[in-house]
Amino acid sequence: MVVEAVHVPDSLAEATAQAARGGHVMAGGTAVMPLVNYGIVPGPELVSLRRTGLAGIEVGDGTARIGATTTFSEVADSPGLSVFRPAVATIASPVIRNMATVGGNLLTDPPGDFATCLLALDATCEVAGAGGSRDVPVAEVIDSGLRPGELLTAVVVRLPAGANWFYRKVTRRRMNSGAIMTIAATVETAGGLVTTARIALGGLAPRPVRAASAERALAGRPLVPDVVMEAGEAARADVTPADDPFASAWYRNRVLPVHLRRALLG
Amino acid sequence: MASQVIALVVNDEEREFIAKPGTSLLSGLRDSLGLTAAKRGCAQGGCGACTVLVDGKAVLSCLLAVETINGATVRTLEGVAADGQLDEVQSAFLDGFATQCGFCTPGMIMAAEALLDRNPDPGEDEVAEAISGNHCRCTGYRPIMNAIVDAARRRREARAAAGAPARVSEEVA
Repeated sequence: MVVEAVHVPDSLAEATAQAARGGHVMAGGTAVMPLVNYGIVPGPELVSLRRTGLAGIEVGDGTARIGATTTFSEVADSPGLSVFRPAVATIASPVIRNMATVGGNLLTDPPGDFATCLLALDATCEVAGAGGSRDVPVAEVIDSGLRPGELLTAVVVRLPAGANWFYRKVTRRRMNSGAIMTIAATVETAGGLVTTARIALGGLAPRPVRAASAERALAGRPLVPDVVMEAGEAARADVTPADDPFASAWYRNRVLPVHLRRALLG
Repeated sequence: MASQVIALVVNDEEREFIAKPGTSLLSGLRDSLGLTAAKRGCAQGGCGACTVLVDGKAVLSCLLAVETINGATVRTLEGVAADGQLDEVQSAFLDGFATQCGFCTPGMIMAAEALLDRNPDPGEDEVAEAISGNHCRCTGYRPIMNAIVDAARRRREARAAAGAPARVSEEVA
């Protein structure tokens, strides 16, 4: 199959209509164009979101709305999103970050490191379709994707306080590497005891997953090494790691508690 | 859909070419415009050999469908020494033996140009980050990193000597 058309619509309405007619949607192109270059065309018609006006960042009231086609360089340069800067720095290279988008990171298979962050933060996805728009929890988008013809327009996320936000990507190289595992978490404590913990794990299952067992193991207990290691052992019930060129499934299981401890306690 | 005429400003010149649907900017540059500095390495965004600047930002030309950037401003390695004079990055690469086979060099230089546009005095970590998407299989990277640090110093000195600001963006402001 060859590409028969690349549509570059100027509006969301036009893009939604083209997607509904079966056009394959792309934003930065970093996931779709490698396929095109290798003749593995995802569909005869591509729909680029580049001119749809979906890029942009609004921050206010402790919440951020990040447009779907916002690039990672734009996220990194946004003063209001500085809490995400260390996480964004772990995603690919600066040149890819000039192209790759927040929406693309969420909707590629597997979803990427920023999707893992959004999962830990219970983000909401704004989705547009022929019948109007709807809000969808990010967990649902990660698990089941969008309905045919729908487009992601933005993610809305409550920004974590720096002290409650934890991110750690375990890699073979210091920069521009796929993940052995990615841990993103928000943990709040009161009187030295954990009140809420939301932990998302990337690289340990076909898609980023919540570590519900680890969250339960932390609840009401002090955030100290023994407790966190115990939570990390519990998290093995939440993951289904695989062998890949970065690490074996066995290794990932083995080191999960250690990296959860390092993520939360340094 | 039929092929389409694509218009770009490439290295300060208005250029047009006819492209089949889904043609990459890299193919347009190499096969239609005869600008062969940008290299086709992996064709999947992993090697950085096709790095060029589009509207001032370093991007991978193999991952851009030309229809999506119609009208954009593109700078390739050919445009860096447009007047026949090597710029600071090129001369630092030459003097520092930062090229061996040379295949990665155009992408390395464009990634370095993008870094120095934003940061005229980068530290070693910033240099490493800037070229972290560019693979070199010859040098072991050390001479390249040294050359970029050296180029930054040369450019700062040249700009200071000319009484000009160190950053292009300051000139615009």
